[in-house]
Order: sequence, then C-alpha cells, then structure tokens
Amino acid sequence: MSTLIIGLSISMLLFLLAAGLTLIFGMLGVINFAHGALYMLGAYLAFQAHATFGSFWPALIVSPLCLAAAGLAIERLTLRPLYPRTHEFQLLATFGLILVIEEVVRVVWGLDYRHLTPPPGLTGSVALFGSDIARYRLFVIGFGAAVIAALFFGIERTKLGLVLRAASVNPTMAATLGIDVNLVRSLVFALGAGLAGIGGTIAGPLLPIQLSMGFTIILDCFIVVVIGGLGNIKGAVFGALLIGMTRAFGQLYAPEWIDIATYVVLLAVLLVRPQGLFAAKERLA
Amino acid sequence: MRMRVSGIAAATVATLMACVGPAMAQDSFKIGGVLPLSGAFGIVGENMRRGAVIALEERDNKVLGKPIQVIWEDSETSTQVAVQKTTRLLSQGVHTIFGEVSSGSTLAMMKLTEQRKVPHIVTLSADDRITGADKTRYAFRTSNSVAMENAMIGEFARRQKIAKVYGIVADYQVGRDMWTALKADLATKNIAIAGEDFTPIGTKDYSILLDKASKSGADGLMLLVVGGDVVTSLKQGADVGIKDKMKVFGTMLMDETLGQAVGPGSIGINSTLRYHFTERSPRNQKFVAAYRAKYNEYPSQYAGEAYDGLSWWLDTVETTGGWDKEKWVDAFANSTRFDSVEGVKKMRRCDNQASQIGLFGTAVAGTGELPPVTMKITETFGAETLFKPCS
Amino acid sequence: MIARETLAALTLGAVALSVRLLWPDDGTLYFAMLVMIWSIFALGYDISFGLTGLLSFGHAAFFGMGAYAAAWTMQRGGAGFGTGLAAAMLMGAVLALAFAALATRVSGLFFALMTLMLGELVSLIMTTRLRGLSGGVDGLPGVPRPDWFGVDFFENRHFYWVVLALFLLTLLACGLLRRSPLGQALLAVRQNPVRAGQLGLDVALHRLIAVTVSGAFSGLAGALLAGLMMYAGPQTLGWRISGDVVIMAVLGGSGTLIGPVLGVVLVEALREWLSLYTQHTYGLIGLIIILCTLYLPRGIAGLWKARA
Repeated sequence: MSTLIIGLSISMLLFLLAAGLTLIFGMLGVINFAHGALYMLGAYLAFQAHATFGSFWPALIVSPLCLAAAGLAIERLTLRPLYPRTHEFQLLATFGLILVIEEVVRVVWGLDYRHLTPPPGLTGSVALFGSDIARYRLFVIGFGAAVIAALFFGIERTKLGLVLRAASVNPTMAATLGIDVNLVRSLVFALGAGLAGIGGTIAGPLLPIQLSMGFTIILDCFIVVVIGGLGNIKGAVFGALLIGMTRAFGQLYAPEWIDIATYVVLLAVLLVRPQGLFAAKERLA
Repeated sequence: MRMRVSGIAAATVATLMACVGPAMAQDSFKIGGVLPLSGAFGIVGENMRRGAVIALEERDNKVLGKPIQVIWEDSETSTQVAVQKTTRLLSQGVHTIFGEVSSGSTLAMMKLTEQRKVPHIVTLSADDRITGADKTRYAFRTSNSVAMENAMIGEFARRQKIAKVYGIVADYQVGRDMWTALKADLATKNIAIAGEDFTPIGTKDYSILLDKASKSGADGLMLLVVGGDVVTSLKQGADVGIKDKMKVFGTMLMDETLGQAVGPGSIGINSTLRYHFTERSPRNQKFVAAYRAKYNEYPSQYAGEAYDGLSWWLDTVETTGGWDKEKWVDAFANSTRFDSVEGVKKMRRCDNQASQIGLFGTAVAGTGELPPVTMKITETFGAETLFKPCS
Repeated sequence: MIARETLAALTLGAVALSVRLLWPDDGTLYFAMLVMIWSIFALGYDISFGLTGLLSFGHAAFFGMGAYAAAWTMQRGGAGFGTGLAAAMLMGAVLALAFAALATRVSGLFFALMTLMLGELVSLIMTTRLRGLSGGVDGLPGVPRPDWFGVDFFENRHFYWVVLALFLLTLLACGLLRRSPLGQALLAVRQNPVRAGQLGLDVALHRLIAVTVSGAFSGLAGALLAGLMMYAGPQTLGWRISGDVVIMAVLGGSGTLIGPVLGVVLVEALREWLSLYTQHTYGLIGLIIILCTLYLPRGIAGLWKARA
C-alpha cells in the first residue's frame, strides 16, 4: 500500500514534467526537445527565488511565470517562422535551444550543485501503512492532481480551451473565424514552458539541481507522452501512472530491471497501438 | 558559378584546418590537462583544475628552468571526448598528461599515454585496474584506489560496531565489484548482510529502496551510488529520516560540494574522504592559504588531491635535472613524498600506486567561515591497514 | 546540376587529399579524419532522411553498435581491420533493418520517436545488461587499427589514407546511388509515397532498403571512429549522437550529395575553432544552429542553389 502511494507521487511528478511537452505537441505539432532544458531552467530559477525570498512558495509562482515569459519569447523568435516548414527544422531549433539554455544557466549559476528545501510543514515524514512517507510526497500527489484537474477544466470546459482546440485542429478555419492563431500559439507555448517551470520547482526538493538534470528527464517525458498518445492530457496522465507504478513496484522486486521494463512496456504499446493508447485518430502531424 | 562553389568549399575547409593545428614553441614544459569542465562531473573537473593551478603558481609556473604551459581540454564528461582530446594533446607533444575524473576515461587515456610513452598523472579515478590489471609504466596514481576505499569502509563498519549492513549499489561493473569485495571483507569481520539492491545509474526515486532498507533490520546502510544519484538518494533519505534509523556510509558519499547539493539533510552522513582541508601538515596549511586567497573558498577533496599529485610530480621532474621522460618516470616510481598534504605518500614501484593514509568523515553543520555542511574527520587509517604488500 | 555535384565532390576529395600532403601534422590530420568519419555517418544518414524522407532519431544505435561490432571481431575474434569494418557494416545494416521493420509502421514524427526509443533501448541494454560484452559505462579501450603490409597505422599520417579511401568510396557510392534507378525510386517515395505506390513501387520495401543501406554506412563510420580513437564506448549510442547527425545533415543541406559533408565541417570546425577563443562554445553553436534553421532553409548547400 505504501508502495502505491510512493508510486503515485512518482507518477504525479512524471505527469508534471510531461504535461507541457504533450500540450505543445498537441496544439502546435512541435516536439520540443528543449523541454528538459526549460525544466532545468525552472529548477534553477526556483532555487534563485527561494534564495531571494527565503521561502518555497514564492518560487512556485515566480519560476513558472519567468518560464512562461521565456516561452513567449522563444515562440516568437524561433518557432513562429518554422511552423510552415517540415518537422526537422523545429527539432533543430529546439536542439539549438538546449545548447543556448544550458549555456545561460552555466554562465549565471555556474557548475555548482544547488539545492531546494521543502517548505516548512512539508518536511519530515508521516507513518502510513507501516512505512514512513515524506510529507512533501503527499503534497506532490495533491498538487499534481490539482494541476490535472485545472488542465482538464481549462481545456475541455472553458471558452479559452475551446479556442485552443479549434486553433490546433484547423488553424486556417480558426483564423477565418476571427481567432488570432498566432496569439493562441504563443499562449500555448508559454503555458507549456510554464508547466516545465512548475515541474522544475516541484522536482527541486527531490532531485539534484544541476546542469545535466534536463538531459536525463527528457526521455522520461517522451516515454510518458508516447505511451499515452502524443498531444493528449488524458493519455499523459495514464502514461505517467503506468510508468510511475512500473518504477515503484519494480524497485520492490527487481530494481536492476526497471529501465528495461519501462522500455518494454513502451515498445509493447507502440507495437499494438503506434499512436499511443489514448489517441483518437492517427495523427500524421 | 561552379568555380565559386568549389572555391568556397575548398577555402573554408582549408582555412579551418589550418587553424586547428597551431605550431607551438618547444621551449616550455607542456602539460595536457584533460578534465570534465562541463556535464555531470563539470564541478569536479573545475575543482581539480583549481588545485592544479595552485601547484603551478607555487613554483612560479616554471620547471627545469622553463615556463610551464598547461593546455586544458574539456572532456564534457564523456569518455569519447576525453580520448579525442587526449589524442590531440599527445600529437601536440605534451610532456605530461593530467586527468581524468571517470575511471573509464582514465583507463582509455592510459592506452594512449602508454603507446606514446608520455607520463600520465591520475589524482582521482579510483578503479583498481588503473594500478592493477591494466597498469602501465607511464601512468601513476597519487590518490586512493577502490581497494583502499573498500578497506576503509570495512574497517569503519567494524569500529562503529555495525552488526547488519544493507547495500544499495549502483548497477554498473565497478559498483558490483566493489560490493562483492566489501561483502567478503564484512564476512571476515562477522558483519551480516541484511539485504542488497542494484539500481540503475540515474534512478530518480530511491524512496522504495530506502523503505526496504529501513525495514530490513539493518543498522548500517551502505550507499554505493555515483554522481547525481548520491544527491537524489540522500535528499530523499533525509525526508524520511533514514540517518536516524541507521548509520549511512559509503565511498565519496559526502563532502562539502555534495553537502551544498543535498542541503541540511547531509548532516550525519559518513563518507570516505580523499583529502580534507583541515589536515594539519605544513604543506597543506600553505596550500589552503594560497587556495583561499585565490578562490575565496576552502579547497575540495578534488582540488586537494589534484594539487598534491601534480606538485609531487613537478618536484620529481625538477630533481632529474633533464628532459628525459623515461628518467622522470623512473624517478617518480621510486619517490617518496615525505611532506605531502596528508603526510607521507610513497609511490609503490610495483604498481605505480601511492600508498597513503585514509580518512573517514562525518558531515556536521559548519560554523563561522566554514561551508554550511563541513566534514569532520572521525577516523584516520594508517597506510599499513589499507594496502596489501606488493606482490 | 549533376555535373556541379560531381565537381563539388571532386573538390572535397582534393581538399581532403591536400590536407594530408600540405599539413601533415598530427592535430590537423586527426581533425580531418574526424570530419571524414562523421561525413561518412552523415552521408549514410542522408540516404534514409534526405533521399527517402524518413526522419530517424535512432542512428546512433547503428553508429555505436558498428563500433562495438568492429571492436569485438578484432579484439575477441582476432580478426583483421577489414573484417572488423565488414562486421560493423553488417551489424549496422541488420540493426537498421530491425528498426525499420518496426518503425515504418508509423509515419512522420512517430517514426522519429519510435526510432529514438529503439535506439535508447539498445543503448540501455548495452550499458546496463550486456556489460561483459560492452565494457559497461567504461567502454572498450584498445580497439586496434589495421596492420597491413607492415605499415604502422597507429601513426595518424598512415591511418589517414585508410580513412580518406573509405570517405571517397562512400562519397562515390552515395553519388552513384542517387543517380541509380534505386535512388530515383527512393526519391519518388520521399516526394509522394501515395503516387509512388500507384506507379507500382513497393513503398514499404523501398523504405526498408533505404534504412538498411543507411545503417550499413553508419556502422562503417562507427567502426572507423573506434579505430581512430582506439576506443568503443556507450556514449556513441546515446540520443545526442543521433541529434548531432540530424543537425549536421540538415545544416549542411539534406538531400544533396555534399550537403551533409559541409554540415559536418561546419559543426566540427565551429567546435574546434570557437573553443580556442571562448568558453561558451556550445551556447554559440546553439545560437548558430537556430539562426541557420531560421535563415538557411536549404542548408549551406542551398546557398548556391538559391542564387543559381
């Protein structure tokens, strides 16, 4: 039972990391390789905000906002001219972005490891089902659930969400209906980058804050979104749960096989349903 | 038009190539430093470079009456790049190769330095093969070996009267080898093994494993993980108070640099130390003063070991009075450093491994000018308990 | 058009030759060999991407496994360098065929993702499970070079001839392939798979062939790199290597014969050159990549075409 709870916390963290990636793909058709780098930048900004304001909570607001602003700039300057071109150019641009963002972080914060502590009240652990479980993990579960709910509500139930979906399904049609497609795209990218900032901040107290943190996380994100079906929030939730639980129970029985097991699950899904489990139709994207 | 295509292509390629291999003056002592200055081990490499720089400045950047020229190359924490850069340095005719951090890179570089007959100074990589199965005439290690670290861990567990050990081990060859050797050692000391887990390098969640360990009835937790995983496992362990339930120890598990990454959760973690700035030898006091004056911080263990090895090597080169690399190598193989930063270090000519004392420390909260997490030396082991005689 | 391509290829060959004759110092030769080896990789990659339109993100697997295959046949099997190269090509081709059989079931970006994941799986298995074969994270040091005719190929100025010959052969092979009926068929598959199918081409088969041939060249490049560095390691299997080759091919001008080579020269030269002047090499390269992506839609090779 405690394994289930820990597994849930791993899943929520994975979801927070992958949500921005899948959102950007779903709405813009761009695979953002720089998502991991944005997540790293988010963690460093959270560290900086924590150091400046002396508390974790401002970091959870400041870092995503800064990332959203950066996302806005990135979309305007690099991606907007590339939408009409083939995929490799978008991949290339986001690859270039990785290098630029890493350089910025290196110049500003140097090579030293940084750390972020959980806010007071969320440190320490509680005994649940015979195991000690960190309070911060319970917070991650709750926070992740809240973000999922907000995303669903925002995309499925609000007018803004309707506009987003319309602009992603058929940009030309949306434009003729008077929707500013460019603005929508900018907002989506900013939202995706902001989610990377949330991911970086939330992961801060659990994982090392260092330059290579984005490099290792991006593959996890890909796995999660590919399993669930690219561009699909529901799929990302499912993918995160599947991988999170595989990891948690894998650690219980055979830690050294976890990574292989993850990829086997992934490939099995891809072979049975190449578009992912939750994709409604095959996207030729 | 056609002419221009080929003309531009030719000109670009030719110019670029001409720029890459600059001719260099022969009247200097050239050191090729191959270190990870970016990537996961970037911070380690940067610290080693700082230590090495002090060793050079201490002698006014001169040896054998000629200026010392150091060419630093960034291996980007990749063996492939390390090999590439080493090859280039060797082709530039360096007199000494210094590096690397990862044992894999060091071993690969040793093949090159042996082939080119260029002395190679290793001050961090600990793999036993470096001065064991794959040892070469030209590579010397002035720092700890894995066998030595293992002996310290076993001895630490015995002195701390630990009864049962749980092992969380990074799933790679060195990790597994180390754990196997350690288990054999612990068995001779009547210390039981409560359980073991092998976990992939880069594991992002250790909480299940830590939970297993804390329920296993063990009173000692051996964390044999590397790189960022040290930080991940200790951060997540701190949340559930693992160090209050059992004694947490390991090799290179904690120092001031890692303490900065883990935060307050570091306090109470035990680890082997390659070097510590509180060592009281005269040379160390002088080194720490020079280091603090230049960088405004205490030297890390990586910086200290780099300084110690390189200054010893350059002093030995000086004593030969000539430019014969073979003579340098012979002299170094037979040398003893009576005043190293940590007392006497003796180069064993049988395997090019420096025998030396070993240190074990516990992380405490730093006071005053000290870093927020500072290591306190709790055990010092004599060289005779850590090294088996040469065979 | 074709004549211009031939001329450009001849020029490249002449430059590579003159490097050996005019600047035979070790550093320059090493750099030139690195460029030629990566060029073989990029040329091979472009058979799958530029010619056939399959955006693969798993080519590091063929490249890295080629290096391992060569290391195994020579170090364990005691075979010669030529056999090692053949084994590497075979390894690259077989692996590529397997990848293609799985990944051509999907199209577009999903093909890229599928190959990326397959490549990572190979990398993972090699680093963590087959440590005995791969040397784990340490890799395999001491990969030999040829020992033909009593020449010491450990000298870079001798090994250069081997690399040069294979580079020219690859360039020739790719040039011929592009002009051959097979090359034209692949191009048709890229431009319009539906029409190509209607014209009676077996689209699926042609995709398999393209990726397999591409994998063979990638394997060859990997083996040569292992020979150059005298080392085969797991880093060559990682996704960033796949990314590098995509970057090089696209920056140089994918779909042209010399484009990928120009891309390699650009990236490698920037890496070497910038690091002499600044510590911010990679950030600047990133910036240059972004700028090229924005302003050079057809790569460096497209510079001339656009004006022609």
